[in-house]
Amino acid sequence: MDKEQIKKELIQHIIEYLNLSDYTTEDITDDMPLFGDSGLELDSIDSLELTVMLEREFGVKITNPTEGRKILVDVNSMADFIIANKEKADK
Amino acid sequence: MYIIKTSCISPQKTHDGSYANDIISYNGNKYNAIEPDYKGLIRPAQLRRMGKTIRMGIGAGLPILQDIERVDGIILASSEGGLEDCIKFLNQIVDYDEGSLTPTNFVQSTPNALAGNLALMSKCQAYNMTHVHRGGAMENALLDALLLFEEKKADLLLLGNVEEISDYNFNIETLAGQFKKEEVTSDALLNSQTPGTVCGEGSSMFLLSNNPDNALAEIMDVAQVSFPHKEDILDFIIGFLSRNLLSPEDIDTIIIGKNGDVRTDFWYDYVCDELFQSQNQYSFKNIVGEYPTSIAFATHFACELLAGKDAPEETIIREINAPKNILIYNHFKGEQHGVILIRK
Amino acid sequence: MNIFVTGLGCISPLGFNLKENLAQLRAEQDGLVRSEYLESRYKSEKFYGEVKMDTSSLLDRINVSCKKGLTRTDALAFVAFDEAINHAGLTKTEVESHDTAFISASTVGGMCLTDELYRDANLNTETSEYSGSYNCAAHTLRITKEYKIKGITNTINTACSSSANAIMLGLKLIRSGRVKRAIVGGADSLAKYTVNGFNALQILSDKKCTPFDSERDGLNLGEGAAYIVLEAEEACLSKEKYARLLGAGNTNDAFHTSSMSDTADGVTACIRQALQDGGMAENDIDYINAHGTGTQNNDQVELTGFSNVFKSIPPFSSTKSYTGHTLGAAGSLEAIYSILSIKHNEIYPSLRVSNAIAGFDVSPVAGYTNDITINTVLSNSYGFGGNCTSLLFGKV
Repeated sequence: MDKEQIKKELIQHIIEYLNLSDYTTEDITDDMPLFGDSGLELDSIDSLELTVMLEREFGVKITNPTEGRKILVDVNSMADFIIANKEKADK
Repeated sequence: MYIIKTSCISPQKTHDGSYANDIISYNGNKYNAIEPDYKGLIRPAQLRRMGKTIRMGIGAGLPILQDIERVDGIILASSEGGLEDCIKFLNQIVDYDEGSLTPTNFVQSTPNALAGNLALMSKCQAYNMTHVHRGGAMENALLDALLLFEEKKADLLLLGNVEEISDYNFNIETLAGQFKKEEVTSDALLNSQTPGTVCGEGSSMFLLSNNPDNALAEIMDVAQVSFPHKEDILDFIIGFLSRNLLSPEDIDTIIIGKNGDVRTDFWYDYVCDELFQSQNQYSFKNIVGEYPTSIAFATHFACELLAGKDAPEETIIREINAPKNILIYNHFKGEQHGVILIRK
Repeated sequence: MNIFVTGLGCISPLGFNLKENLAQLRAEQDGLVRSEYLESRYKSEKFYGEVKMDTSSLLDRINVSCKKGLTRTDALAFVAFDEAINHAGLTKTEVESHDTAFISASTVGGMCLTDELYRDANLNTETSEYSGSYNCAAHTLRITKEYKIKGITNTINTACSSSANAIMLGLKLIRSGRVKRAIVGGADSLAKYTVNGFNALQILSDKKCTPFDSERDGLNLGEGAAYIVLEAEEACLSKEKYARLLGAGNTNDAFHTSSMSDTADGVTACIRQALQDGGMAENDIDYINAHGTGTQNNDQVELTGFSNVFKSIPPFSSTKSYTGHTLGAAGSLEAIYSILSIKHNEIYPSLRVSNAIAGFDVSPVAGYTNDITINTVLSNSYGFGGNCTSLLFGKV
């Protein structure tokens, strides 16, 4: 699966898991901040939801919260994490 | 203790006040709430996490808080809390065999999530309480408010109930034999003469004050008793009235919680036949269904009567004059009995 | 008005009654174990404050006319309730009197039967003896029926502060003159439901919890039940009294559904309210039985609250290091431990603490201490939804 495809699926799953009913897949851009005072403005519970989503939908696991903060930045960084972990698993 | 404002989401169109002339009839065992459009009231970012319980509670509670600078406490009554979230989390546990689970349903399923959310959304850092005493939760919430006013620890309080129909409680109560086996219309419910009732849901919210200015009604007192014998109930009600220096003749209106269950409606007949033969008499569960904190709806209904609004025909058992001194008598499964005295 | 504690009853990971609990507290013996009775895949992965007896043996210990539909939560509640009323020497007439209120609390209710609940809620059966057992008020109603309680009864669920609030409501009812006495407390049992809930929030520790240690990494779940009998002075003139309930405070942090504000708004306001309600100054407090769950967020915020209120923070500890977090029973169980501290002039420590939390120059009491006088104790409880409660107990 190429990165564009992963990002597309990621956005769909983010909307589904976080029940972002007022967002469409076009509204969420690759570099839109997930947390903080702009972008999606998600909070700590959402980060747990996203961690579970990555595990269930992409089979990749975030093992500690410090790592999680670096991965759950935007759609781009999440996609990079998925690709890196898939490669690791393939080797 | 005075009711300044009310707001109600129920299986009737109470949220915009238009229900009285346009009562919705139901068929079967589920009387689902007519919910308002929450857009404009609740931000989508907040609404996305809310199960029905929280949505209805916020939907009924926020309009009351909107013009108010602050309240000195939020008091909630709910037998069950967010059951939809509870069963979603329960199903996750089983479906994913206790693997990685998403926590939102768990956090939202605790019965005090609504009181917490209301505090959060109104930035209310004051008193916050959730009573979950099944059929006695609302009576306890009102008692809690009476105590706060007596202690002079509050001037204004938000108080209300919430209960939702979810698969969880509907199925479990079905196993417990709580609902009718045959299909009965709401018009025929109270005279059905068969076991079981129907399931309702909703949220009634009240702004309470210790100051009578602009009040809709005064809640004079509230009381409850558990597992009484039939012969105890008259003493209980007479005792309740007399501690408020009243006798049954001083009451001009009784609102009763008849729900069409032949096994337990005899309590209402007995009390009315023995004590209240010539008063106005109204029912309400034939329009909103049965649920543990349904006495909250009766309180909302009493406020409407005291404001001089016409009662929907469906609720009138006997109507003689304009209600002024109202007694609400309700029980849940014949086990928990509650009374509320409310007047203009 | 003076309100006295005249009876105590508890069952916890530390023992089946008050005496056993006291002995374990003094011996610095925690009750945290790999679970024996919990049906969950996490039973051997985490530590639990488990009551060391299976449910059917617990049910054998209680004297109830009909045991059908009774759950583990119910059994725990019955054991502690019975001890409390006997300890207070209440007669049958007194228990049944309209002057007696019974206010309990639970967050799990009958959901300890998680698998049965799944079955019943999905209608995978035609009958169930537990259809009336899951509700949080089920244990209260069973006790009410069994003991023929005719006065005010109530059940509170404000998450982890539930039974502290039950105690506060008992205080208010007696003060108002509506009742002369109140039996107050709470009960909860370990459940697959809560274990998975707290696990999903990633706040369960794999080790024995270490409240107020810099390396703390979460809480242990526990179970138990604890009730205390409160009586107005006129109702207990010639009785032995264990402590006075001086006051209580309740606030909401209004910050987040499952964590507390860095500024500790709710915690701070709540302690101040309890002090004011009990007519005490901040320097009157001899010991604080902290909420101290062992999560990063709670302990940091609670200490911030202490710093906001106290010029010099009094000795404090978290007895959750012994019992784990018993949820709906925690507030009343810790109230009992606070009362024992006052009665015996001793402090039960925070176990396994090595390093103070950065930014604070205070550590919890780390060892059993009995060379002091304890006149006044503050007991804190905080729950999801921002709920904060503080109780203030004093010497008779």
